[in-house]
Amino acid sequence: MFNKANALRGSGAEAHRVPPALDATEAALQAHERDKILTKHHFAPEEHPCVRIEHLMKTFDGETQVLTDVNLTVWPGEVVCVLGPSGSGKSTMLRCINLLETPTAGHILIEDHEITGHLPTKEVNKLRQNLGMVFQSFNLFPHLTAKGNVMIGQTKVLKKSKEEAEAEALKQLEAVGLLDRADFKPAQLSGGQQQRVAIARAVAMHPDILLFDEPTSALDPELVRGVLDVMRDLAENGGMTMIVVTHEMGFAREVADRVVFMEGGVVVEQGKPDDVFDRPQNERTAQFLGSIG
Amino acid sequence: MGQTWRYRGKRFAIALCALACALAILVPTTAFGLTTNKATARPNEDGGSSVIGGLPTRLTWEGTVGTGEKVTSVTLMLPEGGSFDGSTTKVTVLEGLSRAKLDGEVKVEGTSLIVAFSEPATEGLLLRLEVENMHFPPDGGDVAIKGSYVNQSGEQELEESKPIKTIANTPLQALLASLDANPVVEAWNSSPFLGMFFKPQLLVTAFATLIPGWLLCLAIVCIAYPFAIILGLIFALMKISRRRLIRAIAIVYVNVLRGTPLFLQIYIMFFGLPMMNINIDNNVLGVIVIAINASAYLAEIFRAGIESIPPGQYEAASSLGMSHMMTMVNIILPQTIRRVIPTVTSDFITSYKDTSLLSSVGVMELMMFAKNLTSVSGNMTPYVAAAIFYLIVTLPLIKGVTIIEKRMARSERGGGPRPKVKAKSADAAAGGQDEMGTEPSLIEALSAPFRPASTDIAGMGGVADVQ
Repeated sequence: MFNKANALRGSGAEAHRVPPALDATEAALQAHERDKILTKHHFAPEEHPCVRIEHLMKTFDGETQVLTDVNLTVWPGEVVCVLGPSGSGKSTMLRCINLLETPTAGHILIEDHEITGHLPTKEVNKLRQNLGMVFQSFNLFPHLTAKGNVMIGQTKVLKKSKEEAEAEALKQLEAVGLLDRADFKPAQLSGGQQQRVAIARAVAMHPDILLFDEPTSALDPELVRGVLDVMRDLAENGGMTMIVVTHEMGFAREVADRVVFMEGGVVVEQGKPDDVFDRPQNERTAQFLGSIG
Repeated sequence: MGQTWRYRGKRFAIALCALACALAILVPTTAFGLTTNKATARPNEDGGSSVIGGLPTRLTWEGTVGTGEKVTSVTLMLPEGGSFDGSTTKVTVLEGLSRAKLDGEVKVEGTSLIVAFSEPATEGLLLRLEVENMHFPPDGGDVAIKGSYVNQSGEQELEESKPIKTIANTPLQALLASLDANPVVEAWNSSPFLGMFFKPQLLVTAFATLIPGWLLCLAIVCIAYPFAIILGLIFALMKISRRRLIRAIAIVYVNVLRGTPLFLQIYIMFFGLPMMNINIDNNVLGVIVIAINASAYLAEIFRAGIESIPPGQYEAASSLGMSHMMTMVNIILPQTIRRVIPTVTSDFITSYKDTSLLSSVGVMELMMFAKNLTSVSGNMTPYVAAAIFYLIVTLPLIKGVTIIEKRMARSERGGGPRPKVKAKSADAAAGGQDEMGTEPSLIEALSAPFRPASTDIAGMGGVADVQ
């Protein structure tokens, strides 16, 4: 029902006419064919991708084109790491997925529901409950304790009882190793601890997909590992679908099912981590990985 | 029937009047040989017009000698419980406007003052006795001066004077009296500056007198302020509304009120409303004017506070699926309130001081009392006392703002008290005994900067990451 025949918007819509979103079954078939060699993740033949991005375009102020033509599918339970130089549109793509940015053109489908186009606010809020987001700058609520941060979404959005929310909050804080910091305010926690609380806050909502926007970029090097450990645990034991925008090559290689390399607003190359890291097909990818590694 | 009754009533009243007139004519025929004209006491209230018991004053008694009388002495019976200094009593005998050649010798016997004249005072003479250093009974009350006189046919009872109203001597009055008597105070007051601005007696009087005005000031601002906060919040939210019309209304409201003097707003409200036949009690109107004026400033403070919250907070709330309203109530406003507490307190101080402008339209607040007292006493000290009353409230608030600002700056750097580290045990996970900070209520947000610092945390490694 969210499939709109034509998802055009923005002032320059005429110039960026994109084809309508593919039919779900057809798209799944195509994606199966394409992705089976690109990811370590195993998916059943009848499975549909949980995120489908087709011809996504994003322009800021009608001038700066950040995303030119992004196409990507993510499967349930898959861990996708998005790499690329700054300004390549990684974060913008991620923010488009939960509509923190409004796409200029193209389609994003979550569980085969189109979210691009004029979605009612209620639908947007509902969609976001299923998409946990972890920010580069943590964005914890400074007036609440760690526990309060993890509880607030549950009590206000999911309408859970206080006791239920608290039990869940403590469970999630324990999972990220911060049970003993439950009553600390964010300002009293280190960056790494704050980011782990932010992860706990996102996970406590039991989203289908977790989006990580450079979760370790703002951290001191010695604090990065704690956060990555938590993320690895989520990926390996939680079976969570994760899209991770990161600069942590080691993490990407180790944990990701698929590595996506973006440059200039398009996906330049994607594939299994070992393939991309050891045998990059694209010259730009090789250059980037060389300069980092 | 009723008609006739009314007529009878009228007739009866006329008869009564006639009787009264007849009596009035009869009375003077039994005139006294010595008529008491008046008995008065000089007001001895500092800056007031009352006679206070127990404090020195001057009693003036005047009497006129009647036709064919020869008065040789007058005795005044002064009130029991009072005291006076008989020796300095001034005796004046006047014939018309000139002084008669007649001396009086003053003698004191207990509470009686006896004046014997050198030769009999004759018809038409005015006798004036001025008793210096007179102390009325300290309990106050109405005091009538009685006495007697001696004429050619012996001792006669003196007509009782109209009562002199005196008020009780309170501890305040006693204090004033002791200040009056203090040589240091006298020396202090002899300095033109100190005597004009810091006269101790007036300071004491002013403190006592100004209290009702001070309380009214506090009442006005304390009642007005909650309304101002609510109004201010509404207009702040209107100002950041997405709808242009709502935004325009708020902008006009805020700019007009901030762009015109409060004095003008007071005049418009206090003189304009009665002209429209809307009559509101002065104090209530004062509350309304102050509330409306403060709300405009608060709207700006709140708007700036809301806009100072980083966009990441909105994004984080949205990504949890919170609606705009939920985000505002649970995330943005609690943080805003905390941020604006110092500015709002400063604005409260301003509003409190601004109540003084209400004195111009007759609200009996602090300034009004000080102005009245100054115009009675001709001394600036009541204004100084009023200043002290303003400072009593404003100085602690200013200090409070500084403390809160420091505390907030420190907590934003991550300092400040830390809660106890919970034991990593299973029962801790089930526990919920520590409710602090789990519910983001506005009250809690407000009180957070004032919470006492606990000391059990110092030096704990909250910042080190546990690996």
